[in-house]
Amino acid sequence: MYRQHVKKQVNKSNLRSKKDVWYKLDLSATVYPTLQRRDFSSVYRLSVKLKEAVDPALLQQALDLTLPRFPTYKVAIRKGLFWRYLEPNNRPGPFVQEDIKNPCMPMHFKSNSRYLIRIYYYDCRISLEAHHCLGDGTGGMCLLQTLTAVYLGLLGHRITPSGFVLRLDEEPDPGELEDSYMRYATAKVKPPRPAEKTYRVRGTKEPFYTLNIINGVLSVKEVMTVAKKYGATITEYLNAVLLYALLQKQQQEFHLTYRPVRIAMPVNLRRFFPSKTLRNFITMVYPSIDPRLGDYSFEEIVTQVHNFMRYYINEKFLRGDITTNAATKHNFLIRVVPLFIKDLVVRTFYTRVQDKNSSAGLTNMGALPVPEDMKPFIDRFDIYMGQPFSSRTNCAIISFEDILTVNFASSIVESDVERHFFRKLVQDGIHVKIESNRSCEMH
Amino acid sequence: MSYCVNCGVELEASLRECPLCHTPVINPIEAGKEFPPSPYPVDKGQVEVVKRKDLGILLSVVLTATGATCLLLNLLVFDRSLWSLQVIGICICLFVFIFPAVFYSKTPLFISLFADGMAVAVYLYMIAYLTPSTAWFWELGLPIVALVTLGMEIFTLLAKKVPFTILSGALCLFIEIPLFCTALELMIRRMIMSPLRLTWSAVVLTVCVIIDVALVTILVKKRLRNEVRRRLHF
Repeated sequence: MYRQHVKKQVNKSNLRSKKDVWYKLDLSATVYPTLQRRDFSSVYRLSVKLKEAVDPALLQQALDLTLPRFPTYKVAIRKGLFWRYLEPNNRPGPFVQEDIKNPCMPMHFKSNSRYLIRIYYYDCRISLEAHHCLGDGTGGMCLLQTLTAVYLGLLGHRITPSGFVLRLDEEPDPGELEDSYMRYATAKVKPPRPAEKTYRVRGTKEPFYTLNIINGVLSVKEVMTVAKKYGATITEYLNAVLLYALLQKQQQEFHLTYRPVRIAMPVNLRRFFPSKTLRNFITMVYPSIDPRLGDYSFEEIVTQVHNFMRYYINEKFLRGDITTNAATKHNFLIRVVPLFIKDLVVRTFYTRVQDKNSSAGLTNMGALPVPEDMKPFIDRFDIYMGQPFSSRTNCAIISFEDILTVNFASSIVESDVERHFFRKLVQDGIHVKIESNRSCEMH
Repeated sequence: MSYCVNCGVELEASLRECPLCHTPVINPIEAGKEFPPSPYPVDKGQVEVVKRKDLGILLSVVLTATGATCLLLNLLVFDRSLWSLQVIGICICLFVFIFPAVFYSKTPLFISLFADGMAVAVYLYMIAYLTPSTAWFWELGLPIVALVTLGMEIFTLLAKKVPFTILSGALCLFIEIPLFCTALELMIRRMIMSPLRLTWSAVVLTVCVIIDVALVTILVKKRLRNEVRRRLHF
């Protein structure tokens, strides 16, 4: 019954995709394709670890049923004269494939039948890799959870759609496909962006097609207890630990002058603005510590981060931030500049200013809502911010039930930041279990 | 279950050393036990690619060696004419052609095409240098190379600036071909001192005009107009 009704939906979607629809890239998404290099793509990965081994044939079937419900993920990116855009992709695929050691490898736009997503399976794990120009972690998580629900449905389990699991029998809501930035970029002023050179992690670059992963598996309750002890939330506490780790790393190296340590942290704007979009709807905030002002104790770092978050992460400040970012897309003179010039300018700005604006990236997807009847089949979730643009490390956090996973992804040999980070957690009395894909090369 | 003695973290069972500090895992209780397989895949997603610069170096060496040995052969053995200029010219042309592909892929296409045209012109001049008269080079060879280069530059410009589809590409091509043929016929007639008028190029011109009209008609259809609008959105 469920399968028939799903197939009906697929047919409808195919009809819909034949219409002449196309999507403008959202505000964030315009930047990501510009940064595309032979050895770099803005690709993130979301994984779900089930309690049983994955059946690839059923997973492919589930993917074929699920993807039409996500029209902005079943697309190819094309170049226009002034902007890139997404157009429906009806080529065969994407096809599920066995997982690889080096996740988030570059995604060339013309490969993979022009699809900008990849689905991997490995033992009990299903992984979704998506180019950031399609959407952010929330959109990707909707796709992954819906795919998992359909897969479990095909296995004969009854899953009730709720939260991130969307109903396949519903037409995609126009709100899911919209660029929500433009709707909320309505502030009267454009606050300036922070633009100061920060401490940058130095390291030995790994060869092409290498992404070092170190995962820490923690207990949500334990982390929450410790965070409360410092008077902070989990995000604030883990931010403070990462800042602390970066400060430690900077102090151990030789520097004539210290630089501020700053973290680029995406904030999910859906928490502040009513939006159902499955595309990008995030903005960056930059909690930082300036060691030139004096030595910070860990408690002071936590207080600093806590106050920063309280001050900046609210609807008003975030609206101002979106307005600043959207100003470029509103400007007629910028809009009429040909794409190749825009690419050149954006890439230069990103390399010279934006990339130097933060020492590391940290994202926290928080506690994931999962339908009650799906929970028994799931062990845990993982998230990877993907390959960093420059030689540094990115940290992504996600929690499900009592399991909180901290996933570090870096393209450098050294793991100093990760070491300082996890040692601090251990010092605070948190039990940490470490997994890594680095081990395989040592064997 | 093993813990790192330095970091205090629990290590996943397959790890033989702590990934944070590289301290080896030595667990006397579990000594002799096999390490379980890693929870991560072991196969890499894509094989290492051959660096294009290596290929470039190889090709450069081969071309330089070819040019140099032919020059020596010409000077020392077969020295009745400067025939090696033709080989050297070919080598220079090939080097200029492969340069953007193997050495500096960011070379703008317009500059690459211009350089290609220049290289061909230089090669033709080398050949002309070996012939009794260079008149054919100035009156026919150089203008043809210039025209072809210009045509390719225009084609590239249009392909980059306007939405490039098979239809628009074909339209551009079928506009350029008759113009080139017309110019070619006029140049040939000027060289052989015939009256300047069109004969065979007029046939090409007529055929191409018909094709162009057909292409424009297809392009103005609503569905295709939408395609253009989609690609030109700003």
